[in-house]
Parts: sequence; C-alpha cells; structure tokens
Amino acid sequence: MQDDKKRYVIPGDVITTGPYRPDQNVTLDGNRIIATVIGISEISDDSVRVIPLTGMYIPKSSDLVIGKVVSHTSLSWEVDINSCYVGILPAADVFGRDFSAHADELTSKLGKGDLIAARIVNFDRTRDPLITIADRDLGKIESGTLIKISPSKVPRLIGKRGSMIQTIEMATHAVITIGQNGLIVVSCDDSNGLLKAINAIRMIEEEAHMANLTDKVKEMLESR
Amino acid sequence: MGGRESTLVLLDKNGIRCDGRKIDEPRKIMIKAGVLKNADGSAYIEFGDNKILAGVFGPRDVHPKHLSNTDTGILRCRYHMSPFSVTERKNPAPSRREIEISKVIKEALQPSLMLEKFPRTVVDVFIEVLQADGGSRCAAIDAASVALADAGIPMRDMVCACAAGKVADTIVLDVNNEEDQAGQADMPVGYMPNLNKVTLLQLDGVLTRDEYKKCIDTAIGGCKLVYQIQKKALTDKFFENGGNQ
Amino acid sequence: MASSVLDQLKRKEIVDLLDQGKRIDGRAFDQSRPLSIETGVIPKANGSARVRLGDTEIVTGIKIQPDKPFPDLGDKGIFICTAEILPLAHPDAEPGPPGEDVIELARVVDRGIRESGMIDMSKLVLEKNKSVIGIFADNSVIDHHGNLFDACSYATTAAILSCKIPKWEIKNDAPVLVEDHESNPPITTIPVSVTMGRIGEHILVDPNAEEWECIDARITITTNSDGNICALQKGGRDGFTVEQLSKCADIAISAATKIRERLKQTKG
Repeated sequence: MQDDKKRYVIPGDVITTGPYRPDQNVTLDGNRIIATVIGISEISDDSVRVIPLTGMYIPKSSDLVIGKVVSHTSLSWEVDINSCYVGILPAADVFGRDFSAHADELTSKLGKGDLIAARIVNFDRTRDPLITIADRDLGKIESGTLIKISPSKVPRLIGKRGSMIQTIEMATHAVITIGQNGLIVVSCDDSNGLLKAINAIRMIEEEAHMANLTDKVKEMLESR
Repeated sequence: MGGRESTLVLLDKNGIRCDGRKIDEPRKIMIKAGVLKNADGSAYIEFGDNKILAGVFGPRDVHPKHLSNTDTGILRCRYHMSPFSVTERKNPAPSRREIEISKVIKEALQPSLMLEKFPRTVVDVFIEVLQADGGSRCAAIDAASVALADAGIPMRDMVCACAAGKVADTIVLDVNNEEDQAGQADMPVGYMPNLNKVTLLQLDGVLTRDEYKKCIDTAIGGCKLVYQIQKKALTDKFFENGGNQ
Repeated sequence: MASSVLDQLKRKEIVDLLDQGKRIDGRAFDQSRPLSIETGVIPKANGSARVRLGDTEIVTGIKIQPDKPFPDLGDKGIFICTAEILPLAHPDAEPGPPGEDVIELARVVDRGIRESGMIDMSKLVLEKNKSVIGIFADNSVIDHHGNLFDACSYATTAAILSCKIPKWEIKNDAPVLVEDHESNPPITTIPVSVTMGRIGEHILVDPNAEEWECIDARITITTNSDGNICALQKGGRDGFTVEQLSKCADIAISAATKIRERLKQTKG
C-alpha cells in the first residue's frame, strides 16, 4: 500500500489522531480513531472510514437484494436476505391495497424456497427491514444460477461505475443481477458463457484485494 | 494414576524450565484464520501442545426468543473439550469446569465487541479443545478473537490472552501443564492491547502483593507477543504481500 | 444464506442435471468426493485421524484405557463409538445433548465397525471377567457438508488402524501401565461404508450438501475386506424398490475397494 491515506487495518488499530469525523467502521477513543473491522482505512479531507474485507450484510434503504422466501404469516412473507435481519414482504405489496387475509392465499404467488429480487424500503435496527418487489426489475426469479459471495466484495464485482460487471456481461453474453447482500443471479443461454461468468465472479471474490485483478479477469474471459 | 515419583526439575540453576524454556519465554504459538467453511468466522491455534478450534456464527437471530435484547446484541460462548483431548478420556457432556470457563471467556471477549450495533441478535462463539495442554482458556480466547475478526464483527480492539505463574518461587511466563500441576500459582490474563484493559483475570495459588503485580505485568507482556501472532494470522488471510509495506 | 431451506432454483437445477446424467459438481453417479486422510493429528490420544470428504471435515480421537467388561462378555474388550456435530460445524447445529440425527450417526458408524469384527476383541482381555481394554472412538464433526456417515466411518477406521495400544499388567488385582510397550491393534478386516442417496430414480454415491437436501431416501452399506456386507442402514422420508437395493449393494461393494486401499495406507 503506497498511498499513506490508505492502510490495511485490523480491529483495534489506531488509524490516526486528530479532528476527523469518524465515518463507517471506525470508532473514537479520546482523539484516536480506531478501526473496528478488518479492511482498508481511508482518510479523506474531513473524515476517516474503513472499507471492510469481511462481514455480513447490513440492510440499507433502497439496496437491491436477492432473497429466499422461508416462511409466511397471513399478512406477509419472511425472506432470508443473507443478513441477521429477516426481510418482511407485506402481502399488500403483491396483492395490492385491497388485500384480504381470508380471500388471497399467499402461497399462490410466492412459496418457500422461491428466490426474489427485491428492494429494501426502510430499515432501522429496532425492527426487521421492509422490502418490496413492486417494480419492473423486481419480483420472483424464474430461472438462472444463484451464487453467493461475501457482501464486502460486491463493490469490487460491480467495479467503478459498473465497469467490471459490464466487462463480464459483454464477454459472456450473460445477464447478471447483483444483490448488495452478496447474492447474485447469472443467466446465460450459452453454457460456456455461464461457466465463464461464474468463474469470473469467483475469481473476483477470491482476489478482490489484489492488484491487477481487472487484467486477470479480462485475460480469463478472453481465453478459449 | 500409576504412582510415579516426580523427578521433575521445575527450574534449574541456569534459569531453564522443565521444558527447556527461559522464565520469560512462551511456548510455541501458531494461529491460522478462516479454517472452516460453514462458520462465519473461524481460527485454529496451536499453543504449546494445545490444539484448539474456534468458530463464530453471527450476528444472527436469537433462539429462544426470550433471550433476545432489544437494545443490544448478546454474546454466547461455549468452551468444550473433546473426549480425546486429555490423558484420561473425558465424558462428552459439559462439565462444571467447562461451563465456568465458557463464562469467563465470554466476559473476556464481551468488552471488545460492539454488540449495541446489532440489537435483537446473538453472536455465538464455539470453542473446541482438540488437545489440551495447560493454559487452554488463554489459547481459546486468542483463537476466538481472531475468529470474531474473521467474521467481520465490529470490535473496539482484539483480545489477547496469556498466563503467567509462580514456579519454584519465580514468576514465569506461560505456565505449561507440569508447571500448573507442580507449581505455586497460575494466573491467566486476557488483555485488549490498544485500549490497555484487562478483561480476563483469575488466580490459582497464593501470591504476595509484589508477586501479584509482577505476574500481571509478565502476563501482559506475553499477551502483547500473542497479539503479534493474531495480527499475522489475519494479515496472512486478508492482505496481499503481508500487509502494509 | 443462513437458512437451510434449499432454494427452488437449486433443487430444479440438480434434478434437471441428473435427468441429463450429470451431477451438480460434475462427479459420476458412483463417485465419492475427494477424500483426504491424515492420522496422528492428536499426538496425546492413542490414535487419531482428520478426514476431509469434499468439504465435510471430521476429527476423530481414540482413547484406550482399562475398563470393566460387559456382564456376559468377560472375555472380550470394549469398543465404544460416539459422534458429535460440533456447533461450529453448521449454522443449524446447536450445542446440547445429542439429537436423533447425531445418535443415529454414532450408532451407524459404531455398528459398521463392530459388526465387521474389525478389532479382535478377544485379544483385548487383561484378566477374564475382571479387567479388559476399552477402545473409545469419539468423532467430532467440525464442518458439515453432507454425508457424515461415510466421513465419520473413514475417520474412525483410519484412527483405529493407526492407533497404538498401551500395555497393562495386572498387579495386586489392578491394571498397571507398562511404559513404552505399545503394540498395533489386532485388526482382522477393514470395513468401508458407502452412503448413497436416491433423488427420483437416480442413485448417487456420497451426496454433497446440496444433494443431501434433495434426497428422497438414503442408504449406508458397510462391507468388509471380503466384499461381504456387514452393516446396513436405510434412512430418509421415502423408500427404495428391491431393484434399487440390489443396485445399491453392487455400487457399495465396488466403490468400497478403492477407499479400502486408501485406508490400508494408514496402518501403523
């Protein structure tokens, strides 16, 4: 790490002292700013944060996530969104405001084990996150292969302004839906393209912290 | 158990202990992070002849629900010894000793975790001693702290642990099994190196007030050595080229 | 995701591939996952092994100590086999007394070894009807990715094959340890278990974690070095036809031979 505004840190490492605003994944001890997770520390003009290299997904409003329906009550579905908090999808989101608990059977639309692309509507830690599938690009996922990566690697998979994921999609003709929660659905008519896309995603997950990753991925996509 | 007479020399005239170490020398320590596939975080430690595995799940949903806390996440810890880990086979069911050690380990790790960020969840720490050799609770804490960092649980600091003791009237670092049996005192210490706080402290044996202070200082010196090994375990797994140049 | 509800897309993918003659991880239907066996990993125990079958990982320790014989078996040593799925092995594994799955696992592994006659128990007597040698095999599952039956069986077998039995002499009516006089265990045969799962019409050897979630029924067949079947256990919510059972036996006998060669190499 040449840049001295960026450093590898582990929990407890003192990143810097002084009048900075503590941002993500740091904490203040007196005037020392301390890393709270394993990652890369970043000091910008007025704030300090750590980009995590590990850790689970914490829901954020308007995040796109891939979820798995695990159960339901008479009023909503419970959706596993790969977090310690379970997503709640209200029945009214699918059936409309005139939803009636007696007349409409939830399992007719979504059942246990179904995968959905959803958006986080709101979340505060006092209750479970509310999610929605009421949008054109959301809803039940009918086909494709599901892959799970560490949520902390998602930004690397997307790349600067989507550059990395576009590279993969163009080279393989696959359609890739990336959930911020580390779940990804890959669809491709060509089985070779599908395999390449999956390998590219796995490579990025394993080597996210290495330099030259973009070149390595491009090289792999172009081979055979 | 067989009635063998002990001809063990705990400390010879050159200041060398029964296993060849100097009085301020810890046993050999090795830690590897991320050794299990299912656990959210994990670590394996060899500390002397101790071989211990730590696995972490969480933060996750709490079952049974009545244990969940609306203001903060909770920490659960289970320290367990495999039946084959000790000389005489141990019954697999948890003993009272294991239950007490589970509790003190939990309380050693708790101050380092920022559980208030995850209300209504639990972080589960599972420790399995595959082979025991004296000082296992310290080694367990060392592995557990690495496993917690591996899982990405936000922490104020790492927790490192090491014991000091009194053997042949001398304060020594890192008491081994024979020294524990035949020595005069054993003091395990758990410590947060950046916040400079002691989170585990127990004593088996009798010490004068001066010996007590010396023992704590010696143990903390040992903790700081272990901290470097914990750092290395995490650096090896997560950072390329061994970290910051 | 944390919950073990298998997603429907994955289940469909597995079944579709099977109908095309393929498995989700590319193996042949009668092929086990990569197997790695390491013995002597717990030096303080009398024997030990660490086995990886795919991503499933087991550590097994053997403790040998003098014991009282069972009431009507005064001329035989004792063999006891336990298993525990450690809570760090899987998000759904809970600490506490063993549930029915783990109890079944331990008993199936135990029977596979006991019924094969692998250890000649008559050679483990110190004083008839009073004092015998007890061999305790304890399996700790540390990473659960399907098919614990075979993984624990291979780990226990390897640990037994590579263990060393201390020597005791009876002095004043009690067993006394004689130092530095260890011997190899009295082995008569090498049992090998092969577990198969049925998904629809397809029979798969050594189901991995995802396949395990989809199987309608499973069977574990243990054979000894003669190729004879010495233990059987069927499990799962559905059944097998007689033809399928016949096929399973053939598969088990043939798949066991390669694994037996691997286990032979662990002999002390």
